[in-house]
Order: sequence, then C-alpha cells, then structure tokens
Amino acid sequence: MTAADVSGSALARQTRSTRSRERWWNMLTAAALFVALPLATEHAMPKLLEQHHYLNLDVGIAIAIAAVSLNLLLGYAGQISLGHAALLAAGAFASGIVTTRWHGPMVLGLLFAVVTTAALSLIVGLPALRLRGLYLAIVTLEFGLVMQYSVLRSSVFSGGSAGIALPRRVWGNRFFTDNAVYLVISLLLLLAVWFLDVNVVRTRIGRAFRTIRENESVAQAFGIAVTRYKLLAFVLSGAMAGLAGAMYGHAIGFVNNESPFNFNQSLQLIIIVVVAGLGHRLAAILAGLVYWVFPSFISGLHQWAYIIGALALMDVVSRHPEGLAGMWEHRRRPKPTDGDDDDGELPALPQLPAPARAVQPESFAPGSTLLEVDGVSVRFGGLQAVDGVRLTVPAGNIVGLIGPNGAGKSTLFNAISGLVRTESGRIRFRGQEIQGLRCDQRARLGIARSFQQVGLAKDLSIRENFLLAQHQLASYSDGEALLMLPRASRDEETFRARADKAIAALGFDELADMPVRNLSGGQQRIVEIACLLVTAPDLVMLDEPSAGMAPAAAENLAARLRDLRDELGRTVLLIEHNVPLVLDTCDYVYVLDAGRLIAEGAPEDIASNPQVIDAYFGAGVMA
Amino acid sequence: MQPIVLGVIAGSIYALIALGITLVYKASRVLNFAQAEVGTLTLYATWWVTQRQHQSWWVGAVASIAAAIAIGLVFERLVIRRMLTAPRVTVAVATIGLFSLMIAVELALFAGTIYILPPPISHGGVSIAGVYVNANQWLALGVVAAVAAALAAFLRYTDFGLAVLASADDPVAAQLMGAPRGRISAFTWATAGALSAIAVLLIEPTVGVLAPGAFNGLFLGGLTAALVGGLSSLPGAFVGGLVVGIAEAEVKAHLVIQSIPSFQVTAMLIIVLLVLLLRPQGLLGSRS
Repeated sequence: MTAADVSGSALARQTRSTRSRERWWNMLTAAALFVALPLATEHAMPKLLEQHHYLNLDVGIAIAIAAVSLNLLLGYAGQISLGHAALLAAGAFASGIVTTRWHGPMVLGLLFAVVTTAALSLIVGLPALRLRGLYLAIVTLEFGLVMQYSVLRSSVFSGGSAGIALPRRVWGNRFFTDNAVYLVISLLLLLAVWFLDVNVVRTRIGRAFRTIRENESVAQAFGIAVTRYKLLAFVLSGAMAGLAGAMYGHAIGFVNNESPFNFNQSLQLIIIVVVAGLGHRLAAILAGLVYWVFPSFISGLHQWAYIIGALALMDVVSRHPEGLAGMWEHRRRPKPTDGDDDDGELPALPQLPAPARAVQPESFAPGSTLLEVDGVSVRFGGLQAVDGVRLTVPAGNIVGLIGPNGAGKSTLFNAISGLVRTESGRIRFRGQEIQGLRCDQRARLGIARSFQQVGLAKDLSIRENFLLAQHQLASYSDGEALLMLPRASRDEETFRARADKAIAALGFDELADMPVRNLSGGQQRIVEIACLLVTAPDLVMLDEPSAGMAPAAAENLAARLRDLRDELGRTVLLIEHNVPLVLDTCDYVYVLDAGRLIAEGAPEDIASNPQVIDAYFGAGVMA
Repeated sequence: MQPIVLGVIAGSIYALIALGITLVYKASRVLNFAQAEVGTLTLYATWWVTQRQHQSWWVGAVASIAAAIAIGLVFERLVIRRMLTAPRVTVAVATIGLFSLMIAVELALFAGTIYILPPPISHGGVSIAGVYVNANQWLALGVVAAVAAALAAFLRYTDFGLAVLASADDPVAAQLMGAPRGRISAFTWATAGALSAIAVLLIEPTVGVLAPGAFNGLFLGGLTAALVGGLSSLPGAFVGGLVVGIAEAEVKAHLVIQSIPSFQVTAMLIIVLLVLLLRPQGLLGSRS
C-alpha cells in the first residue's frame, strides 16, 4: 500500500458534507455528551474516579490536543517541529502568569496562552518557512533548546526553580474545585480543537496544506500562496500547542523549569503522531491518551514505552508510512479494482460556467493581444536559457511554441507564469505588466499553465484536484473557514457542485475519489487540462500535453484542443513536440532554438522553413 | 584572546558534527538529527572499556567509534535503504526516530547515575598567544585537522570518494556511470557515525560527565555550523564550525545576562535566524 492510497481514503472522508448548520449541530450533540457524561458519572458513582485518575485523564487530554496540533503541522502540511514541547511550555507559563501574577481567571489565562504561542510561532516560523526545505525543523529545535536552557531557567519568566502555580481561578478568589467540572472543560476544549481541525481539512486550507506537503511547485501553480499557508499551519499548530500546554499546567496546578517541557517531550510527540498515522486526527488523539494515561497507571513503563516508541517510529516510516490508523483502514477497505489503462478515447472537456471573479475582466475582442512577451531573457548562472524572446498571443488563438530539446521553451513558460525570474524584458497580460508579480498573483489574473510532468497533486483524488483548482475563487477568509461560517460552507458547496459537474462531464465518476497517481497518463493529462479550465482562465498554457500519451490519445487530444478554442473560447499557448498535432491545431507558430527565436509564421510555412529543419535535424539534412 | 582560542577549539569539534550532517545532507538531502546522539550513546562503551575493563582511553575510543559505525550501518541497512524513494521529510523523521532511540536507551540504562570519564591525557599543555591550552585541547585540534584532511583527501583523490561526491551532485547520473549507490549510502552513514563518536570523545573532557542530553550543546553547535556553511558544502561546514565556536565563546565571555542563563544557546538561535534571513545558501554556498 502506498502513501497515495492512504491519502485517497482520507480524502473520501473529506468529501462529506460541509454544510455549516449540520456541522454545528453535530458539535452541539457531542458537547452535550461531554458535559453530561463526567458529571453524571461523578454524581452516580462518586468513588469511581479518584483524584489521580482525574489528573491522568486531564493530562492525557492535554497531550492529545498537542498531538492534534503536531498532526496538523506534520501530517497535513508536511513541516517538522522539533520544539513543540517548548510551545507547550510557553502556553503553560503564559497562563500561569495571568492566573498567578495578575490574578486573572483561567479562561483569560488559556486565551493568553493561545495568543502568546501563536505570536511566538509566527516569529520563529517566518524566517524558516519563507524557504523551501526542512529549515523549520532546525529553527524549532533550537527554539526548544533556548526555552529549555535559557528561558525556563530565567527568573523573569519562570520564577526561577520555584516555578509558577496555575490555579483554576474562576474570578477573584473563587476557584474550580470540582474535578469533574475541570474534566468537562478539558473535553470541551478537545472538542473545539477537533472542530477547528475538521474545518481545516474540509476547506481550501487543508487542500493547500496537503498540496504543499506533496510538491510546493504544484501548489504555486494552483495559485496557493505557499509561504502564507505554511505559516498558517505553524501558527495554528502553535496556538493549539499553547492551549495544550496551559491545560497541562492547570491539570497539574504547577509548572517549573524541571517540568517535562524538554526536548524529549517534543520527540515523544512526534513518535505518537507518526506511529498513530500521519493525517489521522482520531488516531493522534487515541495514541496521545494511551501513551500518556496508560504508562501512568503502570509505573516504570515510561522509559520502555519511549524505547519501543522510537523503534516503532523507525519501523513505521520505513515500512508502513500510513501508520497504525492507515493499516487498520487498509484492512477494512476493499482493494481498489485496477482502472483499465486503455485511454484511446479521451472524454470531451467540460464546458463549465465561468465562476464569478472578484474583478471581472473586461471583455476583449478576439484577435486583440492577450499576452505580449517583449525581449525577455532568463539566465541560469552562465547559461543564457532564454535570450531576448518576443512573441504575441492574440485572444482566441492557439499559438504554438516549438523547438529542439533545451531550446528554452519550458523556461519561457516558467518566466511567463512566474516560476523563474526574468533577467530583462517585459511581459504584458491584457496590457498590464506582470513580470513583477508572484506566481499565484499571475494565476489569479487568469493565466493557467500545465507542466511537462503532470501538474496535479498526485496524492489527492480527482475530486480534490478539481476543488484545489478553485482555490483562488474562494471568497471566504481563513478565519471563516476555521469556524465553518456560512460563507465558507456555501463556497465549498459551490466548489463541490462544480467539481462533481466536471467529473460527470468527463465520465470519471468511478475514479473520482482515487488518487490521481493511479490514473493513466492520458487520463491525468485530461484531468489536468480540465482543472485548468475550472478557474475559467483567459490564457491556457500547455507544456507538451501529448507527452506520455498513447498515439491514439494524442490524436484525440487535437480535437480537444480545438474545442478549447472553438467551443470554450479560450486562448492557448502550446509547447509541443508532436509536429502533426501542432500543424493540426495552431493558428501561429514560434520556433525557439538555444534560447533565441529563429522563426515564426503560419504552421505550413514553418513546416517547410529550412532554418527550422536545421535546428531540429542539424545542418546539412536539406542538402 | 582567550575566547578566540577556546572558540577555535570548540568550533573545530562542532565542525566534525557539521561535516557529518553535511555529508549525509549532500548524499541524500536528509537532515540527520541523530548526528551527535549516536556518539553520546557509544561514549558509554568507552566508559565501560576504560573503567570496567581497565583498558587505556585509546582502546575505549576505538570501541566507541566502532560501535557508532555499527549503529550507522545498521540504521542505513534497516531504515534508510528502504526509503530511497520516500519523501525527504519522512526520512528526516526516521533520523528523529534514531535520535529518540539513542536518548531513550541512555535514559533507560544510564539515567540517575553520574558517569565520569578521565581525560585521555592527564597533564601537560602549552600556552599560545598568552592562553593556556591543555594537552587534551591540543589533541582535539590535531585529531580534527587530521580527520578533516583525511576525509577531504579520500573524497577528492580516490575513485570511491569521487563516486560519493558525484552521487551527491546527481544520484541518477552517478548511478548510470556505475557508482554503487548502496555502498555509497552505507559509507555515508558509517562515516557519519564515526564523526559523531570522534566529536563526542573530543568534547567530553570539556563537559566532564556523561549523562543523557549532556552533549545537546554539541549538536546545537554542529547543526548551527552546518547551516552557516549552507548544509551542502563540506568546507562551508568546517568554516561554519569555527565561526559558531568563536561566536559562542565571545558571547560566553562578554555577554552574560543575569536574567537569561545559558545565553550562548539563544545566540545560536539568533545566528540561525540571521543566516536564514540574510544568507540561506550559507557562507560558502552558492544560490541554487
């Protein structure tokens, strides 16, 4: 079983309803249960749970929340934090300062803990998350050690080794004394964190996280602001960790610099989350409870639990990356039937209603210039990949871009879509200069592109990819998404309906929840083009759409490309090696060689141009 | 002058950790979080050999290095070899597993007792620039210089070493040219283990005791040094080690803040943040 299958099954669950009212109603039911159960138990059987049982449960719930927080960061967004214990500590001390030094109520303490750790995460995360790579792991590791060795030992923050008390203050000199009430509060907070986490997964936030985890370039091409979402993941995760730390502190009643907020706790949290199964919220919670509550009952088990946990972690990552939860799910799920790989006949591209845009592009007459590339150069070190290229793409046309391997065609695409920086020259889209804009900003203007290797999130299903493709259309803010407010749920419903329609139009209903990785090359390509169309872009840039297709499918592709222009009214810029396909579809062709434009003209002229033939086959062939 | 001399000594040991991290990162794009902890665990082998078996420090040192190489090889064989195509995040998590295992074993077997290891050389020393440098510190400088030179020569002048470097630059091309991918991976992890053990052996006389987590500072310094060096440049890792060592010694000597103990740890975090903000490709790295 591959990681792809795992996330596929996880996604099938996410396609459940996102209706706002229904979601809130479920939460209320669960909340009522969580209030009633502990109180009723205590009332009916006051001797059943003793003080230390309550303590273990409260601590277990706090650790479970910490596990959810790390699962959000590592399981969804694929970023490692080695300093989560330090965030827990920061939360505990923040709440301690409010409740003990400022005599504030516990509620304010918890709130202050959340705000403090969210702010800390933002500061610590920003320098690392701007970059691609595992820098967050390094920074959080060092941050954790700073907390452990410097901050928690500093008299300013922790009151020295005397530590700080975390009373369960209601107001003034009134305190919660009832253990069952505190357990109810813990459970309700766990429920609140669960609610947020579910909403992350079911909205564009979670889709952005998972796409970033798989491939940041693909995420960018879908118009996702990568740094912003990585930061959001870490800030959300940090806020939850701060809450968990404060709850831990209030459960014990006291923390000091010796409290288990050291580096080992960060490592153990990673063990819990990975062994339980990355991306599985419930598994993370259960594992957190078992790992913490169970050894507390059997003294002396903690050290061995740590060794076994470390071994299990290595076993899981090297052999069953889906973790325990994934293995369990795999046993219950019927094996997917092999999709047939025969894709000679590709489905027609769906005609989708143009979604309302924030800024409605003014209509422009066919034939007027949509894209203008003016003297653009791109240099990689000593290599001049693109050298002063100039081309024009009129609206409503299919313009071809051909040339031998290494001619700079894909680099030019990258320059137009914003993946590489231009050394000089101007790129105008609908008359507006765009060479200074980021990739996702250009996507939002109406430029969509495909990649030579298929630019879909391959671990996500077709349905999820269609939802992902509508990322920039969402009118809800991330805050609205987290609380699943009406606008978020309404937008999500619209996206889902549009995705369903696209899937139905392609006739891919049965494959809809299968990871894209399992589709054939031709199927992936057609899904990719259909995804590009979901956002109703004005310019569709296709990088070798026929690559990896069976010959029959490639022939079929030509008809689909003409549909794009004639039926759907799109403008297409096409890189293609398949010369018959170019001759068959393009209105105008540019030829690139060694970064320079060597010819342009109507397809039939290009086909007989000796310079072009030289470039492709080497000089002398014509002689 | 004193902080600079002390900084160079500590920094050269950090450089060994940084070399290990960089070697693994170059070869497989994986951050090895266990780089200092493997040697920390195997140092107990040195303790056992010298204190229980009454052998010399040198025999004990060989025992630690051999054990660390063995751990590196077993980890490579059982975990890394199975994850050739896994996402790099997942492999990094695997090294966190190794890290955790080392700490967990230390905690289970050795926590609660203080283990003391006598230094390799008990007396003697020479002053340099008015700063007294004891024999163990001279030994550390000499060993680091020898190890670094040997590693550089091996990578530069032997066929296998060149294959390792080529494989780091382009694994697929190197494999097509006949570079043995499995042996290169094994070599990388064995070398990382050896470097870990040597670094811990050399810094132990400064720390004075063996205890779980006693060498966190070594890992912190080494990781910071590797980052300062750009994570994929071996000379950069070495320079990074010296820079971090000197910076740390200067902070220890001149920047004592009463209310913040161990401010040099905070200084490391500041260095890391500055590098990420200003020069993420490292001092000697080139922007890729």
